[in-house]
Amino acid sequence: MADVAGTPGGNLGGANVSDLLAPLASGEGVVFLILALGVVAMSVVCMTRRNPVSAVMSLVATFFGLAGLYATLSAHFLAVLQVLVYAGAIMVLFIFVVMIVNREESTLVSLRGIPTRLLGVFAGVYMIRVFAGIAIPAQAPGPLPALSDSFGTVASVGDMLFRQDLFPFEAISLLLLVAIVGGVVVSRSARKESDAVIAADKRIAISHLSSHDSPAELSEVEETSAAAGGHH
Amino acid sequence: MNASETLFNLRLIPLLPFLGAAVLILFGRRWKREAVLTVAAAAIGGSALVAFDAFFTRLPAVAEEGGLRDVVWTWMSTGNLSVDLAFRMDALSGLLCLIITFIGFLIHLYSAGYMEHDPDYPRFFAYLNLFCGSMLVLVLGDSMPVMFVGWEGVGLCSYLLIGFWYHETPNADAGKKAFITNRIGDFGFLIGIFLTFQATGTLRFSEITSFATAGSVLTAPAWLGMSNAFWIGTFLFIGAAGKSAQIPLYVWLPDAMAGPTPVSALIHAATMVTAGVYMVARMHAVYVLSPAALAIVALVGAATALFAAVIGFAQNDFKKVLAYSTVSQLGFMFAGVGTANFASGVFHLYTHAFFKAGLFLCAGSIMHAMSGSGDIRKMGGLRKLTPWTHGVFLVCWLAICGVPVFSGFFSKDAIVAGAFATGIFGDDLSWVGPTVGVLLLLAALGTAFYMSRLYFLVFSGPTRADAQTQHHIHESPPSMVGPLVVLAVGAGLGGLVGVPGGLFGHPEWNLLGHTLETAVGPELDVPHNTELLFMAVSTVLALIGIGLAYTFYGGGYRAPAQKFAAAFPGFVQLVRDKFRVDELYGAVIIRPLRKFALALFRVVDRVLIDQILVGGVAALVDVLGRVSRAFQAGDAQRYMAAFAIGAAALVFFATRPTVPSTLKVEVSGTTVSVDASRAGRASPRGLTYAFDFDDDGRPEVVGLKSDARYTYDQAGEHTIRVTVTDPRWHTQSKIKRKIDLSAAGERK
Amino acid sequence: MPTFYYLILSFVLFLIGTTGVLLRRNALVVLMGIELQLNAGNLAMLTYSRALGDEKGHVFAFLIIALAAAEAAVGLAILVGLFRNRQTINLDEANLMKR
Repeated sequence: MADVAGTPGGNLGGANVSDLLAPLASGEGVVFLILALGVVAMSVVCMTRRNPVSAVMSLVATFFGLAGLYATLSAHFLAVLQVLVYAGAIMVLFIFVVMIVNREESTLVSLRGIPTRLLGVFAGVYMIRVFAGIAIPAQAPGPLPALSDSFGTVASVGDMLFRQDLFPFEAISLLLLVAIVGGVVVSRSARKESDAVIAADKRIAISHLSSHDSPAELSEVEETSAAAGGHH
Repeated sequence: MNASETLFNLRLIPLLPFLGAAVLILFGRRWKREAVLTVAAAAIGGSALVAFDAFFTRLPAVAEEGGLRDVVWTWMSTGNLSVDLAFRMDALSGLLCLIITFIGFLIHLYSAGYMEHDPDYPRFFAYLNLFCGSMLVLVLGDSMPVMFVGWEGVGLCSYLLIGFWYHETPNADAGKKAFITNRIGDFGFLIGIFLTFQATGTLRFSEITSFATAGSVLTAPAWLGMSNAFWIGTFLFIGAAGKSAQIPLYVWLPDAMAGPTPVSALIHAATMVTAGVYMVARMHAVYVLSPAALAIVALVGAATALFAAVIGFAQNDFKKVLAYSTVSQLGFMFAGVGTANFASGVFHLYTHAFFKAGLFLCAGSIMHAMSGSGDIRKMGGLRKLTPWTHGVFLVCWLAICGVPVFSGFFSKDAIVAGAFATGIFGDDLSWVGPTVGVLLLLAALGTAFYMSRLYFLVFSGPTRADAQTQHHIHESPPSMVGPLVVLAVGAGLGGLVGVPGGLFGHPEWNLLGHTLETAVGPELDVPHNTELLFMAVSTVLALIGIGLAYTFYGGGYRAPAQKFAAAFPGFVQLVRDKFRVDELYGAVIIRPLRKFALALFRVVDRVLIDQILVGGVAALVDVLGRVSRAFQAGDAQRYMAAFAIGAAALVFFATRPTVPSTLKVEVSGTTVSVDASRAGRASPRGLTYAFDFDDDGRPEVVGLKSDARYTYDQAGEHTIRVTVTDPRWHTQSKIKRKIDLSAAGERK
Repeated sequence: MPTFYYLILSFVLFLIGTTGVLLRRNALVVLMGIELQLNAGNLAMLTYSRALGDEKGHVFAFLIIALAAAEAAVGLAILVGLFRNRQTINLDEANLMKR
């Protein structure tokens, strides 16, 4: 070993770069390359748009690209799920919220506390660099294990979910339930409800007033309505 | 359990007054005066009953074996030191218990009348009860630490009661003066305790007594050629001098008269101030081992007796005269115990408790009658106006003067005769006994003079009070007169328990001496002729003193008194100013201390503490706050960034190859062998080590081994750099060390 | 096709998501960044599942998708509540935690 002080930036762990890049020339490699570049490009676009609608749209594109990548990994069921849940459900949710709060930002990035935040980004870069050190193999890797025909199908994943991993499955369904209830509670307007209560009290007081015309009882009625208001 | 461990519920004796104090402090404010008095008197009365029961029915059977003992619990146990919270009653502590509970009870009753109009009635009785409890702990304590608890407790109560009317500054100041002066004494007492433990290894009185024999370590020279026993005795006496108001620490007692008169009677005459005498008697076994220490005790006591008596000549405040009289009488007691005549010292303590309590209560009664004024220049002729008080005062006056048959005669005589007859001082210090005796005789003459002066000026002749005060003069209520009469009986006849029966061929007549023998050793054997001689001499001296006082003051200020004052105006003024000892202390001790304290305040407090410590800490907190506020920005994104940074730091430290903080290098000649493995641990996970010995950037030795050898061409300074790489993570650590080959080689 | 390509892609996606989360002002975009991060995680899961021939990773990915759905629901609800109360979804104006 001539150079033990090698770093990931230079000679990747001692492996030959051309060896590592060779698989990209195959048919599979081209598909991966197209999908990967698409995903990266779309996600960068998503994170840099001022207009939220275009951000959401590029995110949808990212998810489609990811679904394709999942398929190349023989994860067919998850690829379908990715399209259904992310592109179908979650993104629709985002679109709705964009409709409610449709505001274009004047500035992309707030400068408040920017040194800390930038340092956080660099910390992320550092971690990726270290992890890449183990992800990238020292020499060209061998072939992947052969898979059964049912790998990644609905039947096989479902079998696993409902037999071995039933408890996490049920737990996550409970989490979804809690999230639904939480979403309703948080987004419900508290003021509207109290307005409704006050309005109902007023209606009751007015009906009382209309049935008693004598002014002597007026103050008493007001007290009653005040008490009713305080009660709610 | 051996015989000396005879159990009895001694703890009840101090516990009852403590309970009374607690109840009164908690609830007394809302109660009627009668209820407060009932609780307070019942607490001390119940304590008295238990004490009398223990002393008269239980103690005689076991007095020879060390008395009654009651262990409450083990207070502290550490190393060689084991202290029980335990009480012991032998003849000595039992006698003190009786005095404290009995006179304490009488004074509680008296206070009911005296404090009738005081708004702080419950507080007063709570303090009184607290005092009685503490005093009983002091007396009954089985070991020095327990005694010290009581010692501090009575000091606290004394402070609280002197400053009872704290709304007026002089009273509060007097309390502080008493407390601080006592602290000086307590310092000596504590040193004495430490020395005792160092020398004997125990703090229990009974064990100290049996340890203290002539051949023990106590008699061995310790410091400056003096024995352990001398230093223990001297330091303990400093404590005793503080508590019992001896030269040079007596200055607090006259000022302590600022407190209510029943307090003066109970604390500053009958009980607390005698604690020092009690302590010396308690430690008698150690004192007899050191004649030098005893000589100090005796000489200081005798000097105090005479000095305070002289000051008493010229005081014009009723209670001040009595206060100096107390200092003087305490000097008598110390002279008694200081001549190894312990029984007589305790005997005088006992008689003094009665007649001095009686005198103080008379003072209270008269001040009550005189609308609160204690100036004897404005009194006179009270014999007819307050007949009961006059009768009691008469008895107590004769007792303190040492007129035969009255109690003071027997006890004072026992001390004086003992001072001349004692053989404890040996040949070197043989002058001490007679010197003490002569001083005491002079002091007895002085006592007779100033007490008679007080008596004549207050009771005889026409009254010198102004018309308005005269109009109010009245005898005190029965609740005050009753205790007075009981005390008068004690002062008159109390001495009969200590009759020197040997003179009449009946040694068993001396009940007190006989009883105390088990606790403080046999009474000093005085030859009959000596005893009779000094009885005659002291009687004559007492009569001379009374006669002299009559010629000066009988029926008011007579011509001789005025002539004397005109002839020696400077001396009279000096005595009236108490020899200006307070001023001396002020100039020598207090003023320099104040200046020192002020300097400390300016440098240490203002600058060091306020500015550097307090201000510095504040500034530091301010800076830290400013810094950490940046993190607590309430900005979720910054929190996330901090989280990422933390995670990255964890990754950094977890993936770096571990290296030692310094490189291990062994040198032999020009060959070095380097070990870069972490101390005691095998190198983990196939790390790669690159050794660069000649600092040229190219490693000479590379491999998986963590150690390497290299031989240099020439000696001199070299730098070794080692780079450790983890091939899995592609992370590196570097370490370097400089070596000087020639020096290391020579050292080898 | 060697799996480390997928892993590198996953890292890059995660970094893009992280950068968005840390730097963007718009809470909506920050939520999208979180979705990106979760998807990067999913990609790594499925990659390792493929490399090891074990379907356990699919189960994890499934659960993560469900989790992401729940997170999006609650996050968007909070966002709507924030907008209703303060008429903004800028994160630098949502700093009541400071007080």
